[in-house]
Amino acid sequence: MFGRLVKYDFRSMFKQFGFIWPAALLLALVNHFTLSGLDSTSTVGETTAGMAMLVYVAILMAMFVITMIFVIQRFFKGLLGDEGYLMHTLPVKPWQLISSKLLSAVAATLLSIVVAILSILLIAPFQWVHELGDLFRGLGYLFTHWNIQATHGVFFLLELLLLICVGMAQGYLQLYLAMAIGHLFNRNRVAMSVAAYIAINAVMGTLLGVLGSINFRPLRTALDVMFSVEGIAGAHVAVWVAIVWTGLLSALYFFCTEYILRRRLNLE
Amino acid sequence: MNEQLVTCTALTKRYSSKTALTGVNLELGRGRIVGLLGPNGSGKTTLIKILCGLLQPTEGAVLVDGSPVGPYTKSIISYLPDRMYFADWMKATDLFDLFADFYADFDRTKALNMCASLGVTPSDRIKSMSKGTKEKVQLVMVMARKAQLYLLDEPIAGVDPAARDFILNTILTNYNEEGTVLLSTHLISDIETVLDEVVFLKDGSVTLHDGVDSIREREGKSVDALFREIFRAHNMEGGAF
Repeated sequence: MFGRLVKYDFRSMFKQFGFIWPAALLLALVNHFTLSGLDSTSTVGETTAGMAMLVYVAILMAMFVITMIFVIQRFFKGLLGDEGYLMHTLPVKPWQLISSKLLSAVAATLLSIVVAILSILLIAPFQWVHELGDLFRGLGYLFTHWNIQATHGVFFLLELLLLICVGMAQGYLQLYLAMAIGHLFNRNRVAMSVAAYIAINAVMGTLLGVLGSINFRPLRTALDVMFSVEGIAGAHVAVWVAIVWTGLLSALYFFCTEYILRRRLNLE
Repeated sequence: MNEQLVTCTALTKRYSSKTALTGVNLELGRGRIVGLLGPNGSGKTTLIKILCGLLQPTEGAVLVDGSPVGPYTKSIISYLPDRMYFADWMKATDLFDLFADFYADFDRTKALNMCASLGVTPSDRIKSMSKGTKEKVQLVMVMARKAQLYLLDEPIAGVDPAARDFILNTILTNYNEEGTVLLSTHLISDIETVLDEVVFLKDGSVTLHDGVDSIREREGKSVDALFREIFRAHNMEGGAF
């Protein structure tokens, strides 16, 4: 059943981005050809290039605004609004509904980032294949210089990618939790969701402050050991500490949201 | 298979400022067409939403086919809400695909046949459909399932009398006869003839649950007349109509 939910959420995602993703790439391609006009002496060339760049930047900005709207709307309207009447009467569990929304939200963001990167590569003059080669050679040089093995480099990239995904999930799950709390109120649900978001930030900030001030010896020792790891291993440890911490926060937000949807669902 | 299809025990639902249901005890059998009758604000929609899992009761318990509300009960309930619940970008056929994916009892061929007889083009986008057509699509989705329990929330409110007959006819000719239909409304005269039994809800409490025939025999009047009598008194007490 979970796979079927994901299928429909991804369909809804492709529907939402079906125009803007190709448009961003197309505009990038147009800019690729007009870009040289910026340096030309002809006013027409310059104006065309300027306009094309302006539209491209606008499309790119719109793409990220749409991504944020998608993330929020698919949860707020899709699970807590009228569409929730359909989703919550399907024979599935609330955790499956939340996971499916989260998966499509993270996928939409990653794809938007990929489209943005691709579009920049498209705009650059066509030697970019050559220049990318230079970039990798440069990275290779850096790794050799710092005495980093290539495998470490690959692991770093994978770890960072994982950290980005978990970080994104944590951010979105905090939004979901805020909306779930907001929907418990019978009025002003949007305002209450915003207030809940701010409150979660405040609570987590305070909690971290308190945790930091507690002199819990085993924790201190563990932290000391972790931060005493030097060199490349230390960097790996730092990234993994960040991944685990962000993962724990994500799990906390997920379980709270799941509890609200399972035990406190309050559709108008 | 449990003898009773629906069992509500001491069901209470309180919102912050008001109580929507107060200690409702209700048992519904199988193969019945039941009218859930009461004026606006009497708790009909709240009861239906609790049965299909959209609201959680404050106190009390609900069992559907012997199970608490969850994925199993949702798989045997076909629910028609009092609003449109689908995303605008979809076509009716997309919705049929979705239902076929999630409900083993959904009959796609039947849905397409119903569309043909109701004059709905299933390949049209929902966005481009009129309100009446959207309601028909929703009715088709709900009635093309061979469900154990149909929960129909005000299916005939807000439409003209001709459309009412049409909707009732669609329900009666398509429901699973081994299942039970629970239909909420305040327009009793229109549906009285098709009901097996009625549940009267007044201020969140069940005031009457009986067979239509036995009401007629005992009271010597139609359900509609009895309803008017009970709820006129309610109105004079200051209740909201």
